[in-house]
Amino acid sequence: MRLLAALLTLLAATAHAEGVASLAPKLLPPEQAFRLSARALDAGTIEARFDVADGYYLYRDKLRFTTAPVAAGDAVLPPGKPKHDAFFGDVETYRGEVVVRVPLAHTAAGQTLTLHADSQGCADVGVCYPPNPQQLTLKVPAAGGKPGAFVEPGRKGWFK
Amino acid sequence: MTAEVAAAGTPASTTRRPGRRTLIVGTIALAALALGVGTAYFRGGGSDATRDGAALLALVLPDAQGQPQPLAQWRGKVLVVNFWATWCAPCREEMPQFVAAQTRDGGKGVQFVGIAVDDPEKVRSFVHEIGLNYPALIGGYGAIELSKTLGNDLAALPFTIILDRQGRVAHTQLGPLKSAKLDELLVRLLGAG
Repeated sequence: MRLLAALLTLLAATAHAEGVASLAPKLLPPEQAFRLSARALDAGTIEARFDVADGYYLYRDKLRFTTAPVAAGDAVLPPGKPKHDAFFGDVETYRGEVVVRVPLAHTAAGQTLTLHADSQGCADVGVCYPPNPQQLTLKVPAAGGKPGAFVEPGRKGWFK
Repeated sequence: MTAEVAAAGTPASTTRRPGRRTLIVGTIALAALALGVGTAYFRGGGSDATRDGAALLALVLPDAQGQPQPLAQWRGKVLVVNFWATWCAPCREEMPQFVAAQTRDGGKGVQFVGIAVDDPEKVRSFVHEIGLNYPALIGGYGAIELSKTLGNDLAALPFTIILDRQGRVAHTQLGPLKSAKLDELLVRLLGAG
């Protein structure tokens, strides 16, 4: 029955979209425009990546990373490309691949961590997406162990 | 449309308790019917346009000073409802043309209304900065969900809906509304009396 509901939602959305004079068919949903993945590098460090699709950009100062149950320290963000914003002044943006290091407040060796990532970005064609909170679950290696595999956020959705 | 389908399916599933298969087939048939009818109406500017227009006109949102403003007060005007935010640069860039059009065509019966997916403080600051001459209502992040029900499937901004004088959706736009397109729409909709 849930599957059916999902199908109906899809059909309804399709019908609705027909009437929107818009860029919609050309635009990616935010989770595809800004693909998040992360891995535990070692027992005290998380590496998060955003793979930003061509024609899209993320705002550096809108990136936030937190972890639980072991808390994260300040994320180490690479420098972005300076951009002057008429309202907010000088800001920095990211395109392409963005690699962020998130140090943990103390070791989480062998634990399972939840990483929360907030991001916000726009498309060059002239639309912006609202702040996008995402989360994923990481297995942290034992002390001295190898980095974990990259993990992506679970599919939000209809079929779960 | 989703809500209508769900409502239509409910009585059949509670009153007569048909077999699961019958129920599913029946629901699919109902859904297909609703979809076909809905699409046809939308193309013809009928039911969906009227329903979405009514949903917008039923809204009451606080303005930047915190006063509740029912959108129904602008019933009968050509209403341009623009979902925007200060964190959306393309939104801010297109707003001066709305200010100009409000000045030019306000007397002819057009009313622009901004719904900000934002905090009141930032909205007040921006309104002051560009000398906004139409209401800036505060929708907060909930306004994004609202826009999704009106066809903004990607939940992106800017998103603009134009209602004709009869309260029907005449145009829906994701992304900036080009100046020439806006002028053409306003001429047509204002001319229609």
